[in-house]
Amino acid sequence: MARGWLLGSVVAGGVSAVLLVCQFILLAHVVDDLAFHGCTPESEVRVFALILACLAGQVGARFASDMMGTQAGLRGASHVRGQLLAHLFAAGPVACAGVPAGEVVTTFTEGAEALVPYFARYMPSAAMMVVLPLLILGVVAGVDGWSFLVLACTGPLVPVFMAFVGYGAQAIMDRRWRQLSLLGGSFLDALRGMKTLRLLGRAQGSLERITHLADAHRRTTLSVMKVAFLTSAVLEFFSSLSIALVAVVFGTRLLAGTADFRSAFLVLLLAPEYFMPLRTFSASYHARQNVRAALDNMGAVFALPALAQHHGGQAVPGPGGAGSLSCQALGVRSPDGLPVLHDVSCDFSRNRLTVLTGASGAGKTTLLYALLGFVSPSAGRLEAYDVFGQTMPLENVRMAWVPQQPVMIFGTVAQNLRLGAPDADAEQLRNAAAQADALDFINALPNGFDTHMGERGSRLSGGQVRRLALARALLRNPAVLVLDEPTAGLDTASALRVANAIRQCATGRIVVVATHRQAMATQADVLLHVADGTVVVRPICKETVA
Amino acid sequence: MTVPWGSSQGGRFVEGASGFIRLAAGARWRLAWGVGLACAASMAGFGLLFLSGWLLAGAAVAGLAGQGAARAFNIMLPATGVRFFAMVRILARYMERVVAHDGALRLTGRLRARVYAALVPRAPAGLTDLRGGDLLGRFVSDTDKVAAYYTDVALPFARALLCGVVFVGVFACVLRPAALVLAVGLLAGGVLVPCLIGAATDRLVRVGAEKQSHIQAELAQTLQNLGEYLLLDAAHGRAVGWTDAQSTVDGARWRLDALEGAARSLITMLAFVTALAVLVLAANACRAGQVSVAQIPMLVLGVLAAFDVVAPLPLARQAAAGARLAGARLAKVCAPHRGVVEALPPHLPHAPYDLVLQNINFAYPQTVSPVLRNASLTIRQGEHVGLVGPSGMGKSSLINLLFGFYAPQSGSIAFGGVDVGLLRAEDMAAFVSVVAQDFHLFAGTLRDNLLLGAPSATDAELEDVLKTAQLTQFIQSLPEGLQTWVGNDGLRLSGGQARRVAVAQALLRKTPWLVLDEPTEGLEAPLEQALMAALVRRCANTTLVCMTHRAAVLPFMHRVVRVEDARFCPEGRAT
Repeated sequence: MARGWLLGSVVAGGVSAVLLVCQFILLAHVVDDLAFHGCTPESEVRVFALILACLAGQVGARFASDMMGTQAGLRGASHVRGQLLAHLFAAGPVACAGVPAGEVVTTFTEGAEALVPYFARYMPSAAMMVVLPLLILGVVAGVDGWSFLVLACTGPLVPVFMAFVGYGAQAIMDRRWRQLSLLGGSFLDALRGMKTLRLLGRAQGSLERITHLADAHRRTTLSVMKVAFLTSAVLEFFSSLSIALVAVVFGTRLLAGTADFRSAFLVLLLAPEYFMPLRTFSASYHARQNVRAALDNMGAVFALPALAQHHGGQAVPGPGGAGSLSCQALGVRSPDGLPVLHDVSCDFSRNRLTVLTGASGAGKTTLLYALLGFVSPSAGRLEAYDVFGQTMPLENVRMAWVPQQPVMIFGTVAQNLRLGAPDADAEQLRNAAAQADALDFINALPNGFDTHMGERGSRLSGGQVRRLALARALLRNPAVLVLDEPTAGLDTASALRVANAIRQCATGRIVVVATHRQAMATQADVLLHVADGTVVVRPICKETVA
Repeated sequence: MTVPWGSSQGGRFVEGASGFIRLAAGARWRLAWGVGLACAASMAGFGLLFLSGWLLAGAAVAGLAGQGAARAFNIMLPATGVRFFAMVRILARYMERVVAHDGALRLTGRLRARVYAALVPRAPAGLTDLRGGDLLGRFVSDTDKVAAYYTDVALPFARALLCGVVFVGVFACVLRPAALVLAVGLLAGGVLVPCLIGAATDRLVRVGAEKQSHIQAELAQTLQNLGEYLLLDAAHGRAVGWTDAQSTVDGARWRLDALEGAARSLITMLAFVTALAVLVLAANACRAGQVSVAQIPMLVLGVLAAFDVVAPLPLARQAAAGARLAGARLAKVCAPHRGVVEALPPHLPHAPYDLVLQNINFAYPQTVSPVLRNASLTIRQGEHVGLVGPSGMGKSSLINLLFGFYAPQSGSIAFGGVDVGLLRAEDMAAFVSVVAQDFHLFAGTLRDNLLLGAPSATDAELEDVLKTAQLTQFIQSLPEGLQTWVGNDGLRLSGGQARRVAVAQALLRKTPWLVLDEPTEGLEAPLEQALMAALVRRCANTTLVCMTHRAAVLPFMHRVVRVEDARFCPEGRAT
């Protein structure tokens, strides 16, 4: 799709180039007539009109070419964005945690943005670099042999010398690449380390360091740039030289009467345009550099493993849903390959509240992630059975998750509840809220379900946010409900309330809760303890919390 | 101690042209030199075409007039002039590029230092983007954009102004009415056109930036809660939302490009219309005998060459809008900080360095649940205390409160008999060394990083702390030893290794207090034992606070405090 726009851009650019040449031919014609053939401006009105027509056409075609190039760039960037997003979703939360969110965001926005000038300017100008000079060369060949020789000789020398100098610059740049990227990143590095510096009491001393590093950055960059500027100087040299050469050679021949002024003037007009596409091209060199850096960053995102296996979203509305989940000698590794869990064998059954306990960092969350499909097991199997004990595909199990800090979007209570079920009606909202013990407080809010929750649910208490998230999960009527530390950070009273609400949800569902709180563990039907990378079943009694 | 970040420096230093001039004050001559060279290059280009036109037409006239006139026509002088201008143009343009970029980079350096100085007092509280966007990356790009004001905005406009005056002056020497027409054309192209697109450009740049940051914030939030969104089937719905927002951004971008393209087209048209007008004027003047035939092509070419300095102005106007927006954003974060204690406190902490927290209530700004609720804790000098509890439950908040990065909503914190609210983080650092959870190793050698907190430490001391941190063997295994590069682009240390480097860095400072957040994270059991044993041995007289969830650390402590239900619950000796 972007290719069509790109092609259009090049074609329009070609039309513009042809009209430009026509315009110069006409201009040379009229100047010659007025200066040497004693014509009056009045007699040349038709030519003037033609020039203006060519001008309008040329400018319009150029404008169209630029706009189509921009369109191609924007489309290309949006295509890449779509792919990035699709990959992020495929990678899932566990893999994405490996890359700082800020960097992904920058890649997604600014990185993709860097593609626009690449498509919009660099590619069309690369095409124009071939079209316009050849066109001008052809016209000049028809007008004057000597000038053709001058331009035909200097023209090809430009890319040759530019490549020559360009490779030199590239070599220098590659050699100093580490130094350059290091110094270029030094400011960001310093900003990132600001807290560390303050804790070390060295923030003031580091100001000197910043200045020093900025200075080093300037010197290194400049030493590289000086070589890069040579490329432009070469271009400048040839274009200036050929203009001067054309002028002087033509001057001598005009003096001798062996050339006419009209061709001389036309060649003089065309000579700068002959080199112009080259200049535009070398100016868009930055666009190429930026794209290179952006592609590196995108590569890092695309390199994320597609860990997320299934999300249980596309549930098939079958009879009964899942009856149990079973882990059989399950092993899970972290994204960098370290074993987190091994030989986990346990069952999670319908109508049971299963509670996972264990020290933080023991692997409770990892086990939940494995159940939810955010990480795939490195060993063993995770199986789902329907209520009749027949195996069923995991992706048909509708799962819901309430994490430790549930997401609360900027909007009303109802909007937050409908996040996972956009079509739910008011009655369904009320039912889900009632089940999650959230209806009372929602009704007590100034506008009930239409109350605005503020940034990140800041107008609600921690316990209310948890119950709201629970209601949201229930609204999707999941067969498996997974909760991570649902009572963390809550005072005893609200923790009890949340625990009771969760207890109520176990009817007709598989409910799995990871917690370290007594209030939650006392509600358990099955108590699993995670320690030393594996899971043991603990007997139900009131004093078993780690 | 002096405070380099006074309130005088904050505020408007980066906003608008006046702020830019203040920033540029030190490099004034260099920047002016850059403008001068740019003008020289443009004038040489003008001279080259102007003189070439005259040379051709003059030679043609002389050639037509016959042998005698041809011999009388001195082609050597203008030919030399043409070559002279050609050479000047090449040299001036090259030097202009070098000097102008040097100036711009100098400005970047100054601006970075200023932004940094303004940001330090509010780190880390003011620098955490609650919505998770890449705030720091934005500081960098904004700083660069503001510094590019010189090359992208100031230079093209100054060049257009100065060269325009000269070109009109040259025309005035040849033909007054032509000079007038050129002046009108240049003014229309250089002033009227940028003014015409100005308001719309500003608006579009602003709209694009606003939507863009909205998308970034939304995306960051989604990434943080990716799992939940995926399971709620809401991720794709959000993606559709961004696509809409993104199409607004793209639309703004497209219109900006259209605006700039239209302005550029307009200037091209103006150039040719002016050239044709000058042609008519010159032809009439020629018949009236005011100018020679040879001057007609010269004037026409002169007009076309003169408009070269006006052509880049629409783009420069767009860059100006971007730079102004970036400047405004920087000025907002760099505005004078209220929370900074300007003067030295009346007294510094004194021995015994006891920490007493009383009835602290604390929640991070814009969060729901309080981290500490009516919490009290006393740690005496010389104690070794283990702080345990689930993650995210306030262990690390102790560091933030101690250094005054955040203030508690109520309650008092005293260190060494002084209210920490009266102390600056820099004063506190003299007494307390911290290895925070989010410690940062800078790009540089291992040695640089180790010496960062104690620049005057000797090699023997260095050796000693490395031994305590169980790093001696690891350092010896590196081919370059302490000179090994770390940080981005450097050696990738494992989490445990990096953390031990940070521990060594803190040990080297020899402060009466040492606070370590998860010192043994990522270590295998034997190494963990060795590290803790060495630490405890070394810290016989030092207060040691270890925040950890690893049970193996606790036997090394005098007592253990559990953070639970947003309170500190002393557990006594843990074994």
